[in-house]
Amino acid sequence: MTDALTVRIGDECRTGRAVDCSGRSLDPERVVSAVRGVTADRSAPATALSVTCPDPGPVHDHVGLLTPSVTPRTRTALATAARSRGVETPVDDDLASVRAALADAEVPAAPDLERARRRLAGTESAVDECRERVATLRGRLQARREEGRDTSGLEGELAEATAALSEHETERAAAREALAMARREARASRDARERRRKLEDRLANLERTARDHLVAAVRDRYAAAVAAAPGDSRASGDGSLADADPFAADDVTAALAVARVADLRAPVVLACDRFADPADAAAWLDAPVIRVPCPA
Amino acid sequence: MVAKRSAVLLVVTYSRAARGTLRNVCRTHEESVVRRFGRVALFAETEFAAFQALRLREKHGADVQIERTRPFNEFDALDAKVREAARAYEERERPSVPYSSFAAGTDLPDPGRLRERDIPR
Repeated sequence: MTDALTVRIGDECRTGRAVDCSGRSLDPERVVSAVRGVTADRSAPATALSVTCPDPGPVHDHVGLLTPSVTPRTRTALATAARSRGVETPVDDDLASVRAALADAEVPAAPDLERARRRLAGTESAVDECRERVATLRGRLQARREEGRDTSGLEGELAEATAALSEHETERAAAREALAMARREARASRDARERRRKLEDRLANLERTARDHLVAAVRDRYAAAVAAAPGDSRASGDGSLADADPFAADDVTAALAVARVADLRAPVVLACDRFADPADAAAWLDAPVIRVPCPA
Repeated sequence: MVAKRSAVLLVVTYSRAARGTLRNVCRTHEESVVRRFGRVALFAETEFAAFQALRLREKHGADVQIERTRPFNEFDALDAKVREAARAYEERERPSVPYSSFAAGTDLPDPGRLRERDIPR
């Protein structure tokens, strides 16, 4: 048996296939983190926790922690359990190629359309304002001329306004061109996003097909595990378990059954009291077990 | 008010997540949605619908495209020749004739010219 595990808490060390830490005050989440090696333990040396065990596989994410409040996504977990047993599906090649295509899919960065729109929006209103100002000044100039009054001041103003209008028109033309260019770039980016989205849709379909296949492959084994699961809180109250839908089992039973179906190398962190002792649990689950106290 | 609301916002999504949000928005705000085609929807041209469209883009960035479309009136927007060409071509006797051959040697506009001309704004 190569899957013995070692749990160290401070300077205390426990080894075996079923390690009982139920006497210690341990947060189950913390133990799972130690099993998965995801976070370095930063607690004081006296309570520092480390677990030496084989690396957990994907199924450990689903049933590596069994508490009274587990909420397994049973079919997904069961499909992963089937994978851990080496079950393959007819769509595995397609899955691999779509995943590879997705990994290679490059999406060009989207241009800053917002900036281009904002720039153009400003110029439109500036041109309108300038045009109005030029028209007003022209009207006033015309009126003054007709009245035979001095127009030199107004002529200067009109010349300024006309120059400003021309400037704003130039800026608007540039802003339009910039937006047109950004839109062309956006099209390339959207084409790429669209291709990626199609690949993701295809991947999702293939994953669904694969999951159905995987679940079907271990369904009987899972149903048997549900029927054999310890504890009495089961979905069907009449006890006719043989006829009951195993997928209607309560969450803890479902999670235990998936764990029993799975080939688990890394220890299951067990924080529910369905088993008499950790060794029983390890035997029933056919997996290494770390027993911790039930969370309050 | 009918004329005012005849334009619509075109909302196109380019990712699964954005499509999912679009679906939810359409379900929740039916009054703002003129029509939904899968990952695309036409929103009414109200500020509330525009607010929903902008929310989508805030959430999903470049995976959401918003455009404003206007009603198409072929009697305003086009030369009679273009309308007549469409009718005549769809009434042709030999279905296999491409439009360029069909139009050749007639008064109908040739496709090259049609491609060059934009619909006036």
